[in-house]
Amino acid sequence: MRNGGDNRGRLLLISLIVTSLFLITLDLRGVQVIDGLRSGSQTAVSPFQSAGAKVFRPVGNFFSDVTRLGRTRGEIEKLKAENEKLRQNLINRRNADSELSQLKSVLDLAGTAKYKVVSAKVISLGSTSSFTQTISIDAGTDDGVKENMTVITGLGLVGVVKKSYPNSALVQLSSDSAFRVGARVAGSQQIGILSGQGTSKAVLQLLDNLTTLKIGDVILARGSQNNSPFVPGVPIGEVTSVDNAAGAVTQTADVRLYVNFSTLSVVAVVVGSPKSDPRDALVPKGPVPIPVPTVTIYATPSESPKP
Amino acid sequence: MFARRFLISFPIFAIVYLIQESVVSQFRIFGGGFSLFLIFTLLWSALGTPELGALTGFGAGLLMDLSQTTSGPMGQWTLIMILAGFAISYLGYGDDNFRGNPISLVVIVAIAVPITRLAYLIIGLMFGGDLGSTFQIFISLLSSAFWTVAVVPLLMPSVTRIHSTLFEEKSRG
Repeated sequence: MRNGGDNRGRLLLISLIVTSLFLITLDLRGVQVIDGLRSGSQTAVSPFQSAGAKVFRPVGNFFSDVTRLGRTRGEIEKLKAENEKLRQNLINRRNADSELSQLKSVLDLAGTAKYKVVSAKVISLGSTSSFTQTISIDAGTDDGVKENMTVITGLGLVGVVKKSYPNSALVQLSSDSAFRVGARVAGSQQIGILSGQGTSKAVLQLLDNLTTLKIGDVILARGSQNNSPFVPGVPIGEVTSVDNAAGAVTQTADVRLYVNFSTLSVVAVVVGSPKSDPRDALVPKGPVPIPVPTVTIYATPSESPKP
Repeated sequence: MFARRFLISFPIFAIVYLIQESVVSQFRIFGGGFSLFLIFTLLWSALGTPELGALTGFGAGLLMDLSQTTSGPMGQWTLIMILAGFAISYLGYGDDNFRGNPISLVVIVAIAVPITRLAYLIIGLMFGGDLGSTFQIFISLLSSAFWTVAVVPLLMPSVTRIHSTLFEEKSRG
Protein backbone atom coordinates (compact mmCIF):
# COMPACT_ATOMS: atom_id res chain seq x y z
CA MET A 1 0.00 0.00 0.00
CA ARG A 2 2.80 2.39 0.91
CA ASN A 3 4.57 1.87 -2.43
CA GLY A 4 1.60 2.14 -4.66
CA GLY A 5 -0.40 -0.43 -2.82
CA ASP A 6 -2.86 -3.11 -3.77
CA ASN A 7 -5.89 -2.17 -5.77
CA ARG A 8 -8.25 -3.67 -3.23
CA GLY A 9 -7.24 -1.16 -0.58
CA ARG A 10 -7.58 1.72 -2.99
CA LEU A 11 -10.97 0.51 -4.10
CA LEU A 12 -12.10 0.28 -0.47
CA LEU A 13 -10.90 3.81 0.30
CA ILE A 14 -12.54 5.26 -2.79
CA SER A 15 -15.82 3.45 -2.15
CA LEU A 16 -15.89 4.68 1.48
CA ILE A 17 -15.27 8.27 0.38
CA VAL A 18 -17.96 7.99 -2.29
CA THR A 19 -20.38 6.59 0.33
CA SER A 20 -19.72 9.52 2.65
CA LEU A 21 -20.19 12.02 -0.17
CA PHE A 22 -23.42 10.22 -1.06
CA LEU A 23 -24.59 10.59 2.56
CA ILE A 24 -23.75 14.31 2.53
CA THR A 25 -25.70 14.76 -0.71
CA LEU A 26 -28.69 12.89 0.69
CA ASP A 27 -28.67 14.97 3.87
CA LEU A 28 -28.30 18.29 2.06
CA ARG A 29 -31.21 17.31 -0.17
CA GLY A 30 -33.30 16.75 2.96
CA VAL A 31 -33.92 13.01 2.67
CA GLN A 32 -36.12 11.96 5.59
CA VAL A 33 -34.28 8.70 6.26
CA ILE A 34 -31.22 10.58 7.48
CA ASP A 35 -33.29 12.62 9.97
CA GLY A 36 -34.92 9.38 11.09
CA LEU A 37 -31.51 7.83 11.76
CA ARG A 38 -30.42 10.77 13.92
CA SER A 39 -33.74 10.84 15.73
CA GLY A 40 -33.56 7.06 16.36
CA SER A 41 -30.01 7.22 17.69
CA GLN A 42 -30.90 10.12 19.99
CA THR A 43 -33.92 8.25 21.32
CA ALA A 44 -31.63 5.31 22.08
CA VAL A 45 -28.91 7.43 23.71
CA SER A 46 -31.06 9.85 25.75
CA PRO A 47 -31.82 7.36 28.61
CA PHE A 48 -28.06 6.89 29.04
CA GLN A 49 -27.55 10.66 28.98
CA SER A 50 -30.23 11.12 31.65
CA ALA A 51 -28.60 8.46 33.81
CA GLY A 52 -25.18 10.03 33.21
CA ALA A 53 -26.52 13.46 34.17
CA LYS A 54 -27.97 12.06 37.40
CA VAL A 55 -24.73 10.36 38.40
CA PHE A 56 -22.08 12.77 37.14
CA ARG A 57 -23.72 16.21 37.21
CA PRO A 58 -22.96 16.79 40.93
CA VAL A 59 -19.27 16.41 40.13
CA GLY A 60 -19.51 17.81 36.61
CA ASN A 61 -17.95 21.12 37.60
CA PHE A 62 -15.01 19.50 39.37
CA PHE A 63 -12.52 20.06 36.56
CA SER A 64 -13.49 23.68 35.98
CA ASP A 65 -13.38 24.30 39.72
CA VAL A 66 -9.79 23.02 39.79
CA THR A 67 -8.71 26.03 37.74
CA ARG A 68 -10.12 28.29 40.46
CA LEU A 69 -8.54 26.35 43.27
CA GLY A 70 -6.63 29.31 44.68
CA ARG A 71 -9.77 31.37 45.06
CA THR A 72 -11.79 28.63 46.71
CA ARG A 73 -9.09 27.36 49.04
CA GLY A 74 -10.99 28.61 52.08
CA GLU A 75 -14.09 26.70 51.04
CA ILE A 76 -12.07 23.57 50.34
CA GLU A 77 -10.45 23.70 53.77
CA LYS A 78 -13.86 24.04 55.33
CA LEU A 79 -15.23 21.10 53.34
CA LYS A 80 -12.27 18.94 54.33
CA ALA A 81 -13.36 19.23 57.95
CA GLU A 82 -16.70 17.63 57.22
CA ASN A 83 -17.17 13.91 56.97
CA GLU A 84 -17.86 12.07 53.70
CA LYS A 85 -21.56 11.62 54.24
CA LEU A 86 -22.22 15.24 55.06
CA ARG A 87 -20.14 16.37 52.12
CA GLN A 88 -22.11 14.17 49.74
CA ASN A 89 -25.36 15.47 51.22
CA LEU A 90 -24.13 19.00 50.85
CA ILE A 91 -23.23 18.52 47.20
CA ASN A 92 -26.61 16.97 46.47
CA ARG A 93 -28.37 19.68 48.43
CA ARG A 94 -26.46 22.46 46.67
CA ASN A 95 -27.26 20.90 43.34
CA ALA A 96 -30.95 20.74 44.22
CA ASP A 97 -30.93 24.29 45.61
CA SER A 98 -29.23 25.63 42.53
CA GLU A 99 -31.76 23.93 40.30
CA LEU A 100 -34.61 25.18 42.48
CA SER A 101 -33.26 28.70 42.39
CA GLN A 102 -32.87 28.58 38.61
CA LEU A 103 -36.36 27.13 38.25
CA LYS A 104 -37.85 29.82 40.52
CA SER A 105 -36.16 32.63 38.62
CA VAL A 106 -37.20 31.27 35.24
CA LEU A 107 -40.80 30.92 36.44
CA ASP A 108 -40.69 34.49 37.76
CA LEU A 109 -39.50 35.71 34.37
CA ALA A 110 -42.08 33.64 32.51
CA GLY A 111 -44.84 34.80 34.91
CA THR A 112 -43.99 38.47 34.37
CA ALA A 113 -44.16 38.10 30.61
CA LYS A 114 -47.10 35.63 30.75
CA TYR A 115 -45.16 33.01 28.80
CA LYS A 116 -46.42 29.45 29.04
CA VAL A 117 -43.33 27.36 29.72
CA VAL A 118 -42.19 23.77 30.14
CA SER A 119 -39.25 23.41 32.48
CA ALA A 120 -36.45 20.98 31.63
CA LYS A 121 -33.15 19.78 33.00
CA VAL A 122 -29.94 19.94 31.02
CA ILE A 123 -28.87 16.36 30.41
CA SER A 124 -25.85 16.85 28.20
CA LEU A 125 -23.54 19.52 26.90
CA GLY A 126 -22.81 19.90 23.22
CA SER A 127 -20.17 18.22 21.14
CA THR A 128 -16.66 19.38 21.86
CA SER A 129 -15.52 18.48 18.38
CA SER A 130 -17.89 20.34 16.11
CA PHE A 131 -17.32 23.92 17.32
CA THR A 132 -21.02 24.21 18.14
CA GLN A 133 -22.56 25.48 21.36
CA THR A 134 -25.51 23.27 22.19
CA ILE A 135 -27.15 21.52 25.12
CA SER A 136 -29.58 18.61 25.35
CA ILE A 137 -32.60 18.89 27.62
CA ASP A 138 -34.86 16.18 29.01
CA ALA A 139 -38.09 17.54 27.53
CA GLY A 140 -39.21 16.68 24.02
CA THR A 141 -42.20 16.34 21.77
CA ASP A 142 -44.01 14.30 24.44
CA ASP A 143 -43.94 17.44 26.63
CA GLY A 144 -45.01 19.77 23.84
CA VAL A 145 -41.52 20.94 22.94
CA LYS A 146 -41.15 21.54 19.21
CA GLU A 147 -38.46 22.91 16.98
CA ASN A 148 -37.97 26.69 16.85
CA MET A 149 -39.20 27.34 20.37
CA THR A 150 -37.47 29.87 22.59
CA VAL A 151 -35.49 28.56 25.56
CA ILE A 152 -34.96 30.83 28.58
CA THR A 153 -33.63 30.91 32.13
CA GLY A 154 -34.34 33.40 34.88
CA LEU A 155 -31.57 35.61 33.48
CA GLY A 156 -32.79 35.67 29.92
CA LEU A 157 -32.39 34.01 26.55
CA VAL A 158 -30.62 30.65 26.43
CA GLY A 159 -31.24 29.75 22.79
CA VAL A 160 -33.64 28.02 20.50
CA VAL A 161 -34.79 24.41 20.08
CA LYS A 162 -33.11 23.06 16.94
CA LYS A 163 -34.22 19.44 17.10
CA SER A 164 -36.95 17.82 19.09
CA TYR A 165 -37.17 14.12 19.92
CA PRO A 166 -39.84 12.24 21.92
CA ASN A 167 -38.15 12.73 25.30
CA SER A 168 -35.29 15.12 24.64
CA ALA A 169 -34.41 18.15 22.57
CA LEU A 170 -31.31 19.83 21.23
CA VAL A 171 -30.96 23.53 22.03
CA GLN A 172 -28.70 25.86 20.07
CA LEU A 173 -27.23 28.31 22.58
CA SER A 174 -27.22 32.03 21.89
CA SER A 175 -23.42 31.91 22.18
CA ASP A 176 -23.20 29.61 19.13
CA SER A 177 -21.42 31.21 16.20
CA ALA A 178 -24.34 30.37 13.88
CA PHE A 179 -26.92 31.92 16.21
CA ARG A 180 -28.79 35.02 14.97
CA VAL A 181 -31.65 36.84 16.68
CA GLY A 182 -33.50 40.05 15.96
CA ALA A 183 -32.87 42.34 18.91
CA ARG A 184 -33.96 45.73 20.19
CA VAL A 185 -32.52 48.11 22.72
CA ALA A 186 -34.70 48.57 25.80
CA GLY A 187 -35.89 52.13 26.08
CA SER A 188 -34.83 53.55 22.72
CA GLN A 189 -36.40 50.60 20.82
CA GLN A 190 -33.60 50.63 18.24
CA ILE A 191 -33.49 47.37 16.35
CA GLY A 192 -30.62 45.25 15.13
CA ILE A 193 -29.31 41.75 14.63
CA LEU A 194 -27.38 39.98 17.37
CA SER A 195 -24.90 37.27 16.34
CA GLY A 196 -23.26 34.69 18.61
CA GLN A 197 -19.48 34.51 18.58
CA GLY A 198 -18.74 31.20 20.27
CA THR A 199 -17.96 33.03 23.53
CA SER A 200 -19.96 34.70 26.32
CA LYS A 201 -20.07 37.84 24.19
CA ALA A 202 -22.16 38.48 21.10
CA VAL A 203 -22.11 41.22 18.49
CA LEU A 204 -25.06 43.52 17.87
CA GLN A 205 -25.37 45.29 14.54
CA LEU A 206 -27.91 48.07 14.39
CA LEU A 207 -30.09 48.39 11.30
CA ASP A 208 -30.42 52.15 11.59
CA ASN A 209 -27.45 54.50 11.29
CA LEU A 210 -29.20 57.49 12.78
CA THR A 211 -29.29 56.22 16.35
CA THR A 212 -26.51 55.51 18.79
CA LEU A 213 -25.81 52.90 21.40
CA LYS A 214 -24.22 53.39 24.76
CA ILE A 215 -22.50 51.09 27.23
CA GLY A 216 -24.99 49.52 29.62
CA ASP A 217 -27.91 49.48 27.17
CA VAL A 218 -30.06 46.38 27.73
CA ILE A 219 -30.72 44.23 24.68
CA LEU A 220 -34.00 42.31 24.36
CA ALA A 221 -35.29 39.81 21.81
CA ARG A 222 -37.43 41.60 19.24
CA GLY A 223 -39.63 38.59 18.64
CA SER A 224 -40.39 36.72 15.44
CA GLN A 225 -43.44 36.40 13.27
CA ASN A 226 -45.99 34.20 15.08
CA ASN A 227 -43.53 34.21 18.02
CA SER A 228 -41.41 31.49 16.44
CA PRO A 229 -38.50 30.99 16.90
CA PHE A 230 -38.30 33.94 19.33
CA VAL A 231 -40.89 35.37 21.66
CA PRO A 232 -40.57 39.13 22.21
CA GLY A 233 -39.13 40.83 25.25
CA VAL A 234 -36.68 38.20 26.52
CA PRO A 235 -33.54 39.85 27.95
CA ILE A 236 -30.39 38.87 26.05
CA GLY A 237 -27.56 40.92 27.48
CA GLU A 238 -26.10 44.37 27.87
CA VAL A 239 -23.79 46.48 25.77
CA THR A 240 -20.20 46.43 27.01
CA SER A 241 -18.47 48.32 24.22
CA VAL A 242 -19.56 50.27 21.17
CA ASP A 243 -17.69 50.37 17.91
CA ASN A 244 -17.75 53.97 16.72
CA ALA A 245 -15.51 53.45 13.71
CA ALA A 246 -15.69 56.36 11.33
CA GLY A 247 -17.14 55.39 7.98
CA ALA A 248 -19.07 52.38 9.30
CA VAL A 249 -22.49 52.10 7.67
CA THR A 250 -24.19 50.99 10.87
CA GLN A 251 -23.09 50.92 14.47
CA THR A 252 -21.96 47.65 16.07
CA ALA A 253 -21.49 46.78 19.71
CA ASP A 254 -20.23 43.95 21.89
CA VAL A 255 -22.96 42.51 24.09
CA ARG A 256 -22.28 40.51 27.24
CA LEU A 257 -24.87 37.74 27.37
CA TYR A 258 -26.76 37.58 30.66
CA VAL A 259 -26.89 33.79 30.84
CA ASN A 260 -23.86 31.94 32.19
CA PHE A 261 -23.87 28.89 29.94
CA SER A 262 -21.33 26.97 32.01
CA THR A 263 -23.70 26.71 34.98
CA LEU A 264 -26.94 25.89 33.21
CA SER A 265 -28.87 23.08 34.84
CA VAL A 266 -32.55 24.05 34.58
CA VAL A 267 -34.10 25.89 31.65
CA ALA A 268 -37.62 26.55 30.39
CA VAL A 269 -38.99 26.19 26.89
CA VAL A 270 -41.62 28.76 25.93
CA VAL A 271 -44.47 26.64 24.55
CA GLY A 272 -47.09 29.37 24.64
CA SER A 273 -46.46 33.04 23.93
CA PRO A 274 -48.30 35.99 25.47
CA LYS A 275 -51.09 37.77 23.62
CA SER A 276 -49.30 41.08 23.96
CA ASP A 277 -45.65 42.09 23.72
CA PRO A 278 -44.24 42.55 27.25
CA ARG A 279 -42.13 45.44 25.86
CA ASP A 280 -39.52 46.40 28.47
CA ALA A 281 -41.19 44.61 31.40
CA LEU A 282 -38.39 42.02 31.62
CA VAL A 283 -35.47 44.42 31.71
CA PRO A 284 -33.38 43.40 34.74
CA LYS A 285 -33.58 45.85 37.58
CA GLY A 286 -30.37 47.76 38.18
CA PRO A 287 -28.66 47.64 41.55
CA VAL A 288 -30.38 49.73 44.21
CA PRO A 289 -27.99 52.40 45.46
CA ILE A 290 -27.14 51.98 49.13
CA PRO A 291 -27.77 55.22 51.00
CA VAL A 292 -24.57 56.67 52.39
CA PRO A 293 -25.02 58.46 55.73
CA THR A 294 -23.64 61.96 55.66
CA VAL A 295 -22.42 63.88 58.68
CA THR A 296 -22.28 67.63 58.61
CA ILE A 297 -19.79 69.30 60.89
CA TYR A 298 -20.05 72.95 61.68
CA ALA A 299 -16.79 74.45 62.78
CA THR A 300 -17.23 77.10 65.45
CA PRO A 301 -14.11 79.15 66.11
CA SER A 302 -13.18 79.18 69.74
CA GLU A 303 -12.73 82.42 71.51
CA SER A 304 -9.25 83.73 71.01
CA PRO A 305 -7.31 84.01 74.27
CA LYS A 306 -7.08 87.43 75.65
CA PRO A 307 -3.63 88.86 75.84
CA MET B 1 -11.20 -9.82 6.30
CA PHE B 2 -11.73 -6.07 6.67
CA ALA B 3 -15.46 -6.52 7.17
CA ARG B 4 -14.89 -9.16 9.86
CA ARG B 5 -12.41 -6.97 11.72
CA PHE B 6 -14.75 -4.01 11.40
CA LEU B 7 -17.66 -6.00 12.85
CA ILE B 8 -15.52 -7.33 15.69
CA SER B 9 -14.48 -3.83 16.77
CA PHE B 10 -17.91 -2.24 16.33
CA PRO B 11 -19.26 -3.11 19.84
CA ILE B 12 -16.17 -1.53 21.40
CA PHE B 13 -16.75 1.66 19.45
CA ALA B 14 -20.42 1.63 20.40
CA ILE B 15 -19.48 1.45 24.09
CA VAL B 16 -16.92 4.27 23.80
CA TYR B 17 -19.53 6.32 21.91
CA LEU B 18 -22.04 5.80 24.72
CA ILE B 19 -19.43 6.80 27.31
CA GLN B 20 -18.66 9.93 25.30
CA GLU B 21 -22.31 10.91 24.93
CA SER B 22 -23.49 10.10 28.44
CA VAL B 23 -20.47 10.56 30.72
CA VAL B 24 -17.72 12.71 29.16
CA SER B 25 -20.29 15.25 27.94
CA GLN B 26 -21.37 15.88 31.55
CA PHE B 27 -18.05 17.41 32.55
CA ARG B 28 -17.24 21.04 32.03
CA ILE B 29 -13.56 21.06 31.31
CA PHE B 30 -11.15 23.87 30.48
CA GLY B 31 -10.97 24.79 26.81
CA GLY B 32 -14.05 22.81 25.82
CA GLY B 33 -12.58 19.51 26.97
CA PHE B 34 -11.87 16.56 24.74
CA SER B 35 -13.62 13.98 22.63
CA LEU B 36 -12.82 10.57 24.05
CA PHE B 37 -14.38 8.95 21.01
CA LEU B 38 -12.24 10.90 18.53
CA ILE B 39 -9.06 10.16 20.47
CA PHE B 40 -9.96 6.48 20.79
CA THR B 41 -10.71 6.18 17.06
CA LEU B 42 -7.48 7.83 15.97
CA LEU B 43 -5.44 5.76 18.40
CA TRP B 44 -7.17 2.59 17.20
CA SER B 45 -6.56 3.54 13.55
CA ALA B 46 -2.90 4.28 14.24
CA LEU B 47 -2.45 0.67 15.31
CA GLY B 48 -3.93 -0.92 12.17
CA THR B 49 -3.37 -1.05 8.43
CA PRO B 50 -4.38 1.92 6.25
CA GLU B 51 -7.38 0.03 4.86
CA LEU B 52 -8.57 -0.89 8.33
CA GLY B 53 -7.89 2.70 9.46
CA ALA B 54 -10.15 4.02 6.71
CA LEU B 55 -12.84 1.48 7.57
CA THR B 56 -12.56 2.29 11.27
CA GLY B 57 -12.81 5.99 10.43
CA PHE B 58 -15.91 5.28 8.35
CA GLY B 59 -17.71 3.50 11.21
CA ALA B 60 -16.64 6.02 13.82
CA GLY B 61 -17.54 8.95 11.56
CA LEU B 62 -21.01 7.48 11.02
CA LEU B 63 -21.54 7.30 14.79
CA MET B 64 -20.28 10.88 15.20
CA ASP B 65 -22.66 12.01 12.47
CA LEU B 66 -25.52 10.33 14.28
CA SER B 67 -24.83 12.38 17.41
CA GLN B 68 -27.54 14.98 17.81
CA THR B 69 -24.97 17.60 18.74
CA THR B 70 -23.30 17.38 15.34
CA SER B 71 -24.12 20.50 13.40
CA GLY B 72 -22.97 19.52 9.92
CA PRO B 73 -24.71 17.34 7.38
CA MET B 74 -24.76 13.58 7.81
CA GLY B 75 -21.58 12.23 6.25
CA GLN B 76 -19.33 15.18 7.04
CA TRP B 77 -17.67 13.50 10.01
CA THR B 78 -17.65 10.22 8.03
CA LEU B 79 -15.66 11.82 5.24
CA ILE B 80 -13.20 13.49 7.60
CA MET B 81 -12.73 10.37 9.72
CA ILE B 82 -12.12 8.10 6.70
CA LEU B 83 -9.30 10.40 5.63
CA ALA B 84 -8.00 10.84 9.19
CA GLY B 85 -8.10 7.10 9.93
CA PHE B 86 -6.36 6.30 6.65
CA ALA B 87 -3.73 9.01 7.07
CA ILE B 88 -2.80 8.21 10.67
CA SER B 89 -2.42 4.49 9.97
CA TYR B 90 -0.57 5.15 6.69
CA LEU B 91 2.03 7.25 8.54
CA GLY B 92 3.08 4.44 10.81
CA TYR B 93 2.35 1.46 8.55
CA GLY B 94 5.22 -0.97 8.30
CA ASP B 95 7.34 0.95 10.79
CA ASP B 96 7.46 -1.08 13.99
CA ASN B 97 9.78 1.44 15.62
CA PHE B 98 7.05 4.00 15.23
CA ARG B 99 4.17 1.84 16.48
CA GLY B 100 6.17 0.30 19.26
CA ASN B 101 7.09 3.70 20.67
CA PRO B 102 4.35 5.07 22.96
CA ILE B 103 5.69 8.61 22.73
CA SER B 104 5.42 8.72 18.96
CA LEU B 105 1.83 7.40 19.21
CA VAL B 106 0.94 10.12 21.74
CA VAL B 107 2.50 12.79 19.54
CA ILE B 108 0.86 11.60 16.33
CA VAL B 109 -2.60 11.37 17.93
CA ALA B 110 -2.16 14.75 19.66
CA ILE B 111 -1.34 16.30 16.29
CA ALA B 112 -4.07 14.39 14.46
CA VAL B 113 -6.92 15.44 16.79
CA PRO B 114 -6.69 19.22 16.19
CA ILE B 115 -5.96 18.67 12.48
CA THR B 116 -9.06 16.48 12.16
CA ARG B 117 -11.17 19.08 13.95
CA LEU B 118 -9.72 21.84 11.79
CA ALA B 119 -10.51 19.82 8.65
CA TYR B 120 -14.08 19.41 9.93
CA LEU B 121 -14.30 23.17 10.46
CA ILE B 122 -12.98 23.95 6.97
CA ILE B 123 -15.34 21.47 5.30
CA GLY B 124 -18.15 22.93 7.43
CA LEU B 125 -17.30 26.41 6.14
CA MET B 126 -17.51 25.07 2.61
CA PHE B 127 -21.02 23.83 3.42
CA GLY B 128 -21.99 27.30 4.63
CA GLY B 129 -21.25 26.97 8.36
CA ASP B 130 -20.21 29.88 10.56
CA LEU B 131 -16.71 30.45 11.88
CA GLY B 132 -17.38 32.40 15.09
CA SER B 133 -14.53 33.73 17.17
CA THR B 134 -11.15 32.79 15.65
CA PHE B 135 -9.46 33.14 19.02
CA GLN B 136 -11.97 30.75 20.60
CA ILE B 137 -11.34 28.21 17.82
CA PHE B 138 -7.59 28.55 18.34
CA ILE B 139 -7.97 27.97 22.09
CA SER B 140 -10.28 25.02 21.47
CA LEU B 141 -7.84 23.37 19.04
CA LEU B 142 -4.89 24.00 21.32
CA SER B 143 -6.68 22.64 24.37
CA SER B 144 -7.85 19.56 22.45
CA ALA B 145 -4.19 18.81 21.68
CA PHE B 146 -3.33 19.34 25.34
CA TRP B 147 -6.12 17.06 26.58
CA THR B 148 -5.17 14.44 24.00
CA VAL B 149 -1.61 14.39 25.37
CA ALA B 150 -3.12 13.85 28.82
CA VAL B 151 -5.68 11.21 27.83
CA VAL B 152 -3.78 9.06 25.31
CA PRO B 153 -1.27 7.64 27.85
CA LEU B 154 -4.22 6.58 30.00
CA LEU B 155 -6.04 4.95 27.10
CA MET B 156 -3.07 3.45 25.32
CA PRO B 157 -2.42 0.35 27.48
CA SER B 158 -6.00 -0.87 27.25
CA VAL B 159 -6.44 0.09 23.59
CA THR B 160 -3.24 -1.64 22.45
CA ARG B 161 -4.10 -4.70 24.54
CA ILE B 162 -7.63 -5.00 23.13
CA HIS B 163 -6.38 -4.32 19.60
CA SER B 164 -3.68 -6.96 19.74
CA THR B 165 -6.00 -9.48 21.45
CA LEU B 166 -8.64 -9.06 18.77
CA PHE B 167 -6.56 -8.80 15.64
CA GLU B 168 -3.32 -10.61 16.21
CA GLU B 169 -5.08 -13.71 17.54
CA LYS B 170 -7.60 -13.60 14.71
CA SER B 171 -4.96 -13.20 12.03
CA ARG B 172 -3.03 -16.14 13.42
CA GLY B 173 -6.16 -18.22 13.28
